Parts: sequence; structure tokens; C-alpha cells
Amino acid sequence: MGIHFREVSHEYASYQVGDYQAINKITLSIEDENEFICLVGHTGSGKSTLAQHMNALIFPTEGEVEINGKIITKKRDKKTNYNLLRKHVGLVFQFPEYQLFEETVEKDIMFGPLNFKISFEEAKAKAVEAIHLVGLNESYLKRNPFNLSGGEKKRVSIAGILAMDPDILVLDEPTSGLDPFGKRQLMELFKNIQKETKKTIVIITHDMDLVYEFANRVIVLNDGDLVYDGNEEDLFKKEELTKWALGLPETIKVLRRLKDQFHLDINPYQKTVDQAYEELKKVMTK
Amino acid sequence: MKNIVIGQFVPGSGFFYKLDPRTKIVSIVFLMVALFLLENITQLLIAFSVSVVLLIIGRLSIIRIIKGLKPIFILLIFTFLFQILFNQEGTLLVNQSMSLSYSSIASIVAITVLWRYLAHFKRFNFLLLLAWIAGIYLILSYFHYGPTFAPFSFKVYEKGVEMSIFVVIRLLIIITLSTVLTITTKPTDLTQGLEKLLRPMKVIGMNSEDFALIISISLRYIPTILDEANKIMLAQASRGADFSEGKLKDKVKQVISLLVPMFIIAFKRSEDLADAMESRNFIPGKPRTRIYELKFNFSDLMTSLFTAACFALSIVLKVI
Repeated sequence: MGIHFREVSHEYASYQVGDYQAINKITLSIEDENEFICLVGHTGSGKSTLAQHMNALIFPTEGEVEINGKIITKKRDKKTNYNLLRKHVGLVFQFPEYQLFEETVEKDIMFGPLNFKISFEEAKAKAVEAIHLVGLNESYLKRNPFNLSGGEKKRVSIAGILAMDPDILVLDEPTSGLDPFGKRQLMELFKNIQKETKKTIVIITHDMDLVYEFANRVIVLNDGDLVYDGNEEDLFKKEELTKWALGLPETIKVLRRLKDQFHLDINPYQKTVDQAYEELKKVMTK
Repeated sequence: MKNIVIGQFVPGSGFFYKLDPRTKIVSIVFLMVALFLLENITQLLIAFSVSVVLLIIGRLSIIRIIKGLKPIFILLIFTFLFQILFNQEGTLLVNQSMSLSYSSIASIVAITVLWRYLAHFKRFNFLLLLAWIAGIYLILSYFHYGPTFAPFSFKVYEKGVEMSIFVVIRLLIIITLSTVLTITTKPTDLTQGLEKLLRPMKVIGMNSEDFALIISISLRYIPTILDEANKIMLAQASRGADFSEGKLKDKVKQVISLLVPMFIIAFKRSEDLADAMESRNFIPGKPRTRIYELKFNFSDLMTSLFTAACFALSIVLKVI
């Protein structure tokens, strides 16, 4: 069933600045199986607003969103149980501090499942399953979430959402504040989760290297407008990238520079450093 | 939460914006004292028109101030009702005997249901409330079939009507004046003004600078904390903590899930703030300088003179 946006706009009412249009007439579809989507755009382009529409945390001021068959419009419908939609689409916020509150990691992960009326034993089993999925071991379950490192907190907060077993997992800037190694680790983790569970994963990020390497679909927002929706290969061949305030992945940057400088017959569109190295070696031996 | 006007600064320009905050604070204190010295309704109505003229001079939107009155509207209605019901001086104006009966209780329930139903359409809310009160009055006085019980009489005295109008107008003026102060003064200016005014309190051991710092920091962090609370609420809502429904036991848990992160974030923020202040060489208790020093200019003089005149006039009226 997935998520379908139809001409969705959202306007924030502001007392001092006046009304502010965060997203503008967005139409897009996200299936609930096997997608790995990166949502990119410069700061203030409406990514987080779009993400919060995906599990009905905020309501469109125009247009409609269909989540798992339920239509969501401007008006709050008393018959619809919006809470159930949040089980279908799990949204992880940028800062784990916003959601961790229990005294042990296990209890914190169980908070989500228990809210959806799952039995205590089942929730406990889900917590064990989720902590493995995010690459931590069971010894973490008894620890205090506030004594963990930043990266571990992040993983625990993701486990808290994964334990609800959503079909679509939306992550708002999960890689921010991590070192390059931690970022890559986390992205590989998401890829594995997607492979194992066949869930759709939507990631908001600024890191073009990761987008190029991991995504199989990229959605670009620019000032509230949807300007690109397609695969990652074509995105970086576009001329408009600078207009959208997006950079190029390092591999493309370096290989293009080499190509221009030394007039090499090289294909700059390589996803990883290893591939770029192989390509260079091939050209150089020739 | 964004519609609260009381206590909120609204950027703009006009006479009151250019005034020294000290002048504004002192003037308002004196004007309020003067207001309490007034004794009859004519004087109060003059004071009311003067404050409306002040709004016009300051080019403040009257609609905005009326909107700001909304939250205290209920308070106004209650003071009005209490005065009219319990003040028993002067000549009797209305003496209506009332009593309860089964038919009147039933019809009161009926019009209450009707009122709540019509209130869903949102418009004419206030008129509906008035109609409801009038309906209850009529039912209690005339609508009786069958046995009646608990008879009582509804009395309104002349003084009661006068006092109720008097008190409500006085409250209106007080709120208008204080709204003018908060709308036209930046929180930082307000605290600086307070700090300067409270300086003599040092004699009794109160450090006005610390006091002003506490106020300005708390004011500064209200919007930030509200914003954080909203984000935490969204984050927990996406874990199924729906704050609008559920049993009491679930609700307690949900409130805890909001409060714990709130406290942790607030403590963290305050620690960060303390570090940031210290790294910029802030030493508590040491005298500090300001970028913008307050200046007393011509319009401040005019305002002070006006206030003094009002104050003197009200004392003269009181004595005579």
C-alpha cells in the first residue's frame, strides 16, 4: 500500500514572520517494500516537514496523504486511529535525546511495542531482536541509555522504532554528528536491515557520498518543491545540482578533475573509493 | 500557544517603542495607583477613553489588544457576575422569585445540550452564551409545571450593577496598560529597566543585576523549551504515545516519556549556557557594561509629566 502524496502543501503559521510555506504541492509515492530512498536538499528545504507527514505527525494544509490506505487531509477525522499509522511507518528523529527516557535500554525499546498493545513477553522478544538488528549485543539491554555514547544512543533510538516492526522506516538525519567511519557503519547497517527485513527505508541526509553509494532512489527538495525523483546515477549527471545547493560525491569530484587535467579517458561515475581506484588503475595501465 | 499576546513583544515603531523602559515601568505603576484612587464611574470612563487615546497615539492595533484580552475574558465575566450577585447595597432593582421544578431542570438540560451543539459551529459563540444565560433565567422564573421546590429570589441591587461595571472597566484599563508595556518593550530592555530601578534594593542585600539576569535568561528560554517540548512530543507520538487518548495509567507513562527528556535537555542546555557565558568571561556579581545605555529623552519627559498630572488629578479628586 505504501505512502502516496497528492499535491501536498504545508504552511506554518508564524506570528512574527507571517505564514511560511514549507513544502509546496508535492506528489510522490513510496512503496512499502524494498526501497532505499535518500531524501536530500539544503537546510530549510522542507525535508523534515515532508518526513513528518509520512506518519501523520502533522497534517497537510492542502492536498492529501495516503498512508496504508488511510487518507489524511487537513481535517482531523475522529474515526481514524492515527496512532496505528505510526506503527506502519516508523519515524526516527535526529536527536536520540528526544526519545530516550527509561532507566534501561530494554524498557526504552519496549515502550513503542507496548504502546501498540503487544504483550509484555512479545515486546521483550522484539527488543532482543531489535538490539541485534542495530548491531549491538544483548549486554546493552540492561544498561542505562543516558550513559551510552552518542553513536550507541542513536542505535538504541533506532532500535526503539524497529521494535515496533514498521513496514517503512523513516530516519531524519541519522548520520549527523558521527565520524565518517560511524556514518558508513550506520548506513551499512540500514542496508543490512533492508536486505533482511525487506522494509522500505527513507533516509534524510546531507552526505552525497553516502547517497551515491547506498541509495537506489533519490528525492531532492529545493525550497519546498520536489525537483528530482529518480535513481542516484542520473542525479549526479544533472546540471542543476549547484542550483539545488547540492555537492558532488568525492569520487566523482576527484575523477572529473583528473579527467579534465590530464585528458584521461576515464569514467568518473564510480560509487566507492575502491571502484574509483580500480578504474584509475585500468586507465593508467593502458 | 502562538496566539498568546499578553506578555509578548511585537516588533514595531511608534511613540511607546522609543520610550525608555524605566519611564514606561514607573509610569504604569503610577497610572495604576491613580486608577485605584478613582471613585465613580464617570471618572473611570474618562480614564478609559484616555487609555484608548493613548493606544491611538502609540499607533497600536486595538484589535490586537482585544485579541490579547481573550484569555482573561472568563475572569472578566466572573468578576462581573460575582459583583452583580453578591453586592447587596443600594436600592433594589430586580427582585425575581425563582424555584426549581422537574420541568425546569429538564428544560435547563435541554437548552444546555442545544447550546453545546450549536457551539460546534464556532461562530456567534459569545451570543450563544448570552442566550443560554437568558434562557436559564427565564426558565427558572416562569417555566414551572408540577411541584416546585427550593424557592429562592434573585435580587439585583443598584450598587451591584454599578460596581460590576466599575470593576470590569478598571480591569480592562489595567490589562490594556500592561499589554502596552509588554507589547512595546523588548524583554531585554524590560529587564534592564527593572535592573536599574531595583538598584537601590542593594541596601537590603538584593542584587538587582542577578535578578535581572535570571529574568532575562528565563524569558529567553521559554520559546526554546516550548520548541523542544513540541519535538519530544512528536518523537514520542511516533512511538505510539498518543497524548490525546488512552487510559490514565498509559497517560502517566506518556507524560513521563515527555518530562524526562525535557528535564535532561533543559539541564544540558543550562550547562552549555553556563559554559558559553564563562568562556566569554562572565563573572557573576561583577559590574557589567551595556552596548546600549538607556537614555532619558524628550518623550520620556513628556510621559513623566503626563503621568504626574494624572496622578495629581486623581489625588485631588479623591481628596475633594
